[in-house]
Amino acid sequence: MDAYLIFSNENIWSEIWPELSLALGALFVLGLDLFRKPGSSTSLCGLVAIGFQAILLGVHLFDYLVWHHTFDRDTFSGMLTQGIQGDVMRSFFLFSSLLVSVLGNQYLKNKSLRSGEFHHLTMLATAGLMLLSQSNNFVMLFVSLETVAICFYTLVAYNRNSSKSLEAGIKYLIFGALSSSLLLFGIVLLYGVGSSPEAWGAVFDGAEGQDPLGFQYIGNLIEANPDHLLLRAGVVLIIAGIAFKIGAAPFQIWVADVYHGSPMPITAFLAVSSKAAGFFVLISLVNGPFLGMCDFLLPLFGFVATFTILFGNLASCAQQNLKRMLGLSGVAHAGYLLVAVMASMHFAGDSDRAIWVLFFYLFTYLLASFCVFGVMSLARLEDETDHEFFHYENLAKKHPWMGFVLVCGIGSLAGIPPFAGFIAKLLLISVAFEAKLYFSLSVMIIGVAISIYYYFGWIREITFHPKPSFSDDNDQNSPVIWEKGSYGLFKPCMISLAIISLVLGIWQGPFGDAF
Amino acid sequence: METITPQHFLILSFLLFTVGFLGVLIRRNLLLVLMSLELMLNGVNVALVSFSRTSLNLDGSLFVFFIMTVAATEVAVGLALLVALYKRRRSVFSEDTALLKN
Repeated sequence: MDAYLIFSNENIWSEIWPELSLALGALFVLGLDLFRKPGSSTSLCGLVAIGFQAILLGVHLFDYLVWHHTFDRDTFSGMLTQGIQGDVMRSFFLFSSLLVSVLGNQYLKNKSLRSGEFHHLTMLATAGLMLLSQSNNFVMLFVSLETVAICFYTLVAYNRNSSKSLEAGIKYLIFGALSSSLLLFGIVLLYGVGSSPEAWGAVFDGAEGQDPLGFQYIGNLIEANPDHLLLRAGVVLIIAGIAFKIGAAPFQIWVADVYHGSPMPITAFLAVSSKAAGFFVLISLVNGPFLGMCDFLLPLFGFVATFTILFGNLASCAQQNLKRMLGLSGVAHAGYLLVAVMASMHFAGDSDRAIWVLFFYLFTYLLASFCVFGVMSLARLEDETDHEFFHYENLAKKHPWMGFVLVCGIGSLAGIPPFAGFIAKLLLISVAFEAKLYFSLSVMIIGVAISIYYYFGWIREITFHPKPSFSDDNDQNSPVIWEKGSYGLFKPCMISLAIISLVLGIWQGPFGDAF
Repeated sequence: METITPQHFLILSFLLFTVGFLGVLIRRNLLLVLMSLELMLNGVNVALVSFSRTSLNLDGSLFVFFIMTVAATEVAVGLALLVALYKRRRSVFSEDTALLKN
């Protein structure tokens, strides 16, 4: 008994209470689903999931803002590390998961799909994401990444009545598994050199008893041998694996297909949480263990960012299908964020500013993406994956609030002045300028200019009547029916998201002081 | 007599990994693609076990168990998706799953 007590005291389980309670809540939702009356239309599970996550988010924010300020420390024998940045990301993932549940509740009701497993998997994926943002060891990194990925494979294929959803699930599974194998091979190379440096011609006077898979150890090893071939190969493979997750070129091929086929709330979840997790892992790796290889990695990142930005923007210009267009423009956003990662590598040792800019960008991206995907999930099309521009014709007149939310979302994604996306892009450009990344900066500005073309085309469809209409036309040119009836919680949520992204564009409040 | 060094194991593991990687890229039967993914993970396992053995560090051997668990769950989900797709489309070939085109 005493041994257990010592074990639990040493590991400080209380540090991961949000993850534990989220996982327990997920199990509770799954259990509740068993007692659902067949044929009943109210989704108790959805409401419980939303309420639970809202309370958890509130308590979590309160916990680390008011009750006890977190300080940097390692728990679970160096497996996890807690700090302010990890806590910000944990709140980010909780918030995003709450919004996915809100969207999913409405979506599943319209599509009459089962709701229990959806919320269960969303919450489990979020618990994995939250652990991922604290991981301090490559085993932990891999296991939490896979927890997230396996939940996502199932969620992408959640709409089992649609072949497209299943196909997207299979594609995501194959590409995801491929990318995690690459990541794993990289980890193994680092481990191989780290566990016996002399055998591979590396110099390292490693401290005894340190974990050769921990970030600290690998960081010291890489700093001692920045030119070692196997270490370089390992680092490149790990970064390739993460580039798959964030959809950076040349690993972006899956993005359009998977976004196209997956259910709308999951597209939003993929766009926001999965990408944010990839970026957080990337930025903490390049500023932590891989810092010694900065000189080697910077040109590589520069190439990847340039290619990603140009590919994403040019490919989305040609798209008629809106979900594919949003996926490809998400690739372009990943390219902009890679510029922030590069900037953080330039300020070695003092990368906080670039990291906070990245957080702010991700937060505005979250608000904008949920605005856009939320409104899109209300369209009742024959095939829900085929949203095209003309479906949105004159939406602002037909349903003013949907038009408002959608225009706010698109405007923020495009980065037009009154919206938060503009401030985020401005901060990103200023930080890239400080880091003297002039080439990437010019590519980024060209990319933003191209993106205005396709985003504004969509706004034009929403707000104006591009085609002349005649009185003897029967109203057939807009075959889309928008969901009517009670939106319940959904409508105020969407409108407040749009208003937040409008307000953040004008007044950044406490965020503004951070810069 | 020559002994087998970790370098040899690394080459073996790299070859297995490459065979799996090429299999994922080239094979058109989705079942074989899933098998190739397993092969990649097992190639990684070979390297991990040999590194762990030569350096007498148990972390690598423990990591293998995590990888095996992950591989099993991945295949479970993959086969479930494949069965669901097969019921709708009567095919497990990748050229028949091409609905997602622009």
